[in-house]
Amino acid sequence: MKKPKLTVFNIVTYIILTILTILFVFPFYWIMTGAFKAQPDTIVVPPQWWPANPTMENFTKLLIQNPAGKWLFNSIFIAVVTMLLVCITSSLAGYVLAKKRFYGQKILFSIFIAAMALPKQVVIVPLVRLINFMGIHDTLAAVILPLIGWPFGVFLMKQFSENIPGELLESAKIDGCGEFRTFISIAFPIVKPGFAALAIFTFINTWNDYFMQLVMLTSKDNLTISLGVATMQAEMATNYGLIMAGAALAAIPIVAVFLIFQKSFTQGITMGAVKG
Amino acid sequence: MKKANKIRMRETIVSYCFLAPVLIFFIIFVLVPMAMGFVTSFFNYTMTDFTFVGIDNYVRMFQDDVFIRSLINTLIIVVGSVPVVVLFSLFVASQTYEKSAFTRSFFRCVFFLPVVTGSVAVTVVWKWIYDPLSGILNFALKEGGVIEQNISWLGDKKYALWAIIIILLTTSVGQPIILYIASMGNIDKSLVEAARVDGANEFQVFWKIKWQSLLPTTLYIVVITTINSFQCFALIQLLTSGGPNYSTSTLMYYLYERAFKLSEYGYANTIGVFLAVLIGIISFIQFKIFGNDVEY
Amino acid sequence: MKKKVLATLLTCAMAVTALTACGGSDKGGETPKKEESSSDKTEITWWAFPTFTQENANDAVGTYEQKIIDAFEEENPDISVKLETIDFTAGPEKITTAIEAGTMADVLFDAPGRIIEYGKNGKLADLNDLFTDEFVKDVNNDALLQSCKAGDTAYMYPISSAPFYMAFNREMLKDAGVEDLVKEGWTTDDFVTVLEALKDKGYNPGSFFCNGQGGDQGPRAFFANLYSNHITDADVTKYTTDDANSIKSMELISKLIQDGTLMNGSQYDGTADIQNFANGQTAFTILWSPAQPGTQAQLLEASKVDYLEVPFASEDGVPELEYLVNGFCVFDNGDDAKVEASKKFIQFICDDEEWGPKNVVRTGSFPVRTSYGDLYDDERMNTLATWTKYYSPYYNTIDGFAEMRTLWFPMCQAISNGEKEPEAALKDFTEKANETITKK
Repeated sequence: MKKPKLTVFNIVTYIILTILTILFVFPFYWIMTGAFKAQPDTIVVPPQWWPANPTMENFTKLLIQNPAGKWLFNSIFIAVVTMLLVCITSSLAGYVLAKKRFYGQKILFSIFIAAMALPKQVVIVPLVRLINFMGIHDTLAAVILPLIGWPFGVFLMKQFSENIPGELLESAKIDGCGEFRTFISIAFPIVKPGFAALAIFTFINTWNDYFMQLVMLTSKDNLTISLGVATMQAEMATNYGLIMAGAALAAIPIVAVFLIFQKSFTQGITMGAVKG
Repeated sequence: MKKANKIRMRETIVSYCFLAPVLIFFIIFVLVPMAMGFVTSFFNYTMTDFTFVGIDNYVRMFQDDVFIRSLINTLIIVVGSVPVVVLFSLFVASQTYEKSAFTRSFFRCVFFLPVVTGSVAVTVVWKWIYDPLSGILNFALKEGGVIEQNISWLGDKKYALWAIIIILLTTSVGQPIILYIASMGNIDKSLVEAARVDGANEFQVFWKIKWQSLLPTTLYIVVITTINSFQCFALIQLLTSGGPNYSTSTLMYYLYERAFKLSEYGYANTIGVFLAVLIGIISFIQFKIFGNDVEY
Repeated sequence: MKKKVLATLLTCAMAVTALTACGGSDKGGETPKKEESSSDKTEITWWAFPTFTQENANDAVGTYEQKIIDAFEEENPDISVKLETIDFTAGPEKITTAIEAGTMADVLFDAPGRIIEYGKNGKLADLNDLFTDEFVKDVNNDALLQSCKAGDTAYMYPISSAPFYMAFNREMLKDAGVEDLVKEGWTTDDFVTVLEALKDKGYNPGSFFCNGQGGDQGPRAFFANLYSNHITDADVTKYTTDDANSIKSMELISKLIQDGTLMNGSQYDGTADIQNFANGQTAFTILWSPAQPGTQAQLLEASKVDYLEVPFASEDGVPELEYLVNGFCVFDNGDDAKVEASKKFIQFICDDEEWGPKNVVRTGSFPVRTSYGDLYDDERMNTLATWTKYYSPYYNTIDGFAEMRTLWFPMCQAISNGEKEPEAALKDFTEKANETITKK
């Protein structure tokens, strides 16, 4: 094994990586510091690299003048419920697609794969119609329900389910275990890491699914935090302090989830791509 | 034979029971809207009208300057971002995958940060950074002597699309880097060593051995980045509304504008059908090109 | 074997119930409003653009609107009103979406530009019964009344009206030594002189903003004044934005942008431009109205900007101003009780003895009812009131107006960026804009 040497190439690499790191972290830094700047401080030239007069004003305004607490709750509610439903349905489907042989399996799987590439946005107009027909437009259900039949989730869980040893399932069958019991007691413990990965994946995706929220939710009380921030920035175009405070509220929960579950998440992304 | 069929039948019933929950949602919220969208793309369908017009919408689409412009912008975004994302993440991953677990994890977090910050939060902060009057970018460039006058990054035709692509890039490389780090870790070290012993230089080692084993990952990255680039919406809606003069309008945004600003639902669905077909074709081609010797 | 079949069935049942249980619970939590309306109370929803200014600079958006609702509900215990505030940038799309989804509010507080369009599309309840002889006589202004109608059908019940004009930062003008040039009756040449003086002092100019439709009446009126050209002909039957004077005006705008005395506004919409001005970042804005000092009170206070209000500059010194008509429309959501309640509500807002005049004041504009008299009694508003003599033909109710607006701002962007020559751009725009009139 070669040891890292201090060659010119290495030094250049380090410099580039450092610059990139700064570039990638800066917007986040700018949100977090901007959130504590009073409105006049956000537009001064030269800009304040660090809030000169840190203030909580933006957050109090955000929470008092806007239902930001409700927005945060809506975001969490949508993300959690979608996550649970996607995980449960996908793991059931992924399990049989990987471990059973049945009529229509191939074609079904191909349809899922094909649909994976299709962004939901291209069917958005009929989808709004449909949601309207069901009478649930402008409710949280309108955002949640269309996200459940998510082909990617099925695909991911199928990949994880391939790891279940067939012999285990066979022996469970011989022991007289029912199909569902087999799934719960044999299959599920094995696909658990996949379940966790999919959960985080869905959580982040749903949290950030701005488009769906934009067309499905209208009342101020029903907005999500991202949509709320977007609305705010339309209303008060240049009150950057307030907008950054909103952006911070929108970003922090999800960054926290990512940092805590980084390992599962990384695994989920990797498993989704590379055949297990 | 008969027994086998019977077992298969039973398995089928069981399987569809397990599949039922996903299928119900998939049919209702994916297949049905797809069918509806396809059918209504042949209608003049607005707030007040719903009449069959055959392929008029399609004819109109290909004669619509703004549509063509949006199509070109979309392709520029895809072509501009996909290779950069691949090279960029390849570079970062190759420089970090052999480092300690801590370093790896650090860089993963750094490059994933814009993804988890969320599209709206990232967009609004960039709007501020790009602001011609109070944005830090103009300030920094002026201090550095690069520019003299404030530049309207999002309002100037010369820069607007690139300004958007840069933001898109920062939110697109997180996942590819994670993927590359993982799959570089899986490269068979003995093969690499053997090649080195045989006198292969670093480039040959990379091209002959590493690249080959990275190919499936690359294919996957190319496909998801393409699809993500097609979906780029929040950035455009919140930053430029497609302007100036449609120079940042994408198919996705144009569809939205037609449907939700002008209530031309039928025409919007026509664009949707086109977009779906286009994405299908591009994904298919990518599979063909990259997937030749890849078992996927 | 039997046992297994049973287990399978059980599995399916469980999967399905788990699903419906989850789906059901979140629906149940989110739609309580529908159940409430089954009682004998009529519930209506009111969507309001931020046209009412709040009483205190620190009041949240919607505070004043809620006060009106409280007063109304006290008088009409059988009706309850739910308020929803929307903004000018994203609001219009929200309305379109809600109309399509069938979740549109009952009452909308807006202006004729959009309202008449909704009316023509058959989405509104007609308000002819509100236009009583008494009301018509009181308003005594045919042009204004006609702006609330599509043909003979009234769709908007107006409350107040005000001109749009421009505003300068007084300190900056003083510093540049050109304050005395900026006054009623000033000419385009004066205007150019002022812009150059401001630029020499290093102040950021205001922008010819055109990022989207928000506030696009400002740039249009600014453009139409420079060489006394007109957006439409006198009878408002077609757009005349490609005549020689129009081209001259647009060429001037294009030159000013190139010289850096007017900002390329492709990145800003009206709201942003006004806020840049109120923040003290720019020297002027081409969209200002009597209500703006109230709307922007927070920013003006923080930045200590002293604004100077002036009509648009024109070649002959006689400006032509576009004006805003604030008013209400009622969406026909298929429930007569709601329509009736909504009508009652908008009449309360506009005509109540106590609240009517008070509400007019909060819109910062002038009452449409002449009987309200002079509500302001201060010098500024008295001066502004005299500007109503500059009102130009009202074209916001022309057929296809909404679609014309989607053509306007891309054209401005193309010119601002030097992508198209003013003449070619205007010709192209005018041709397409005229098509929108006859299209439907």
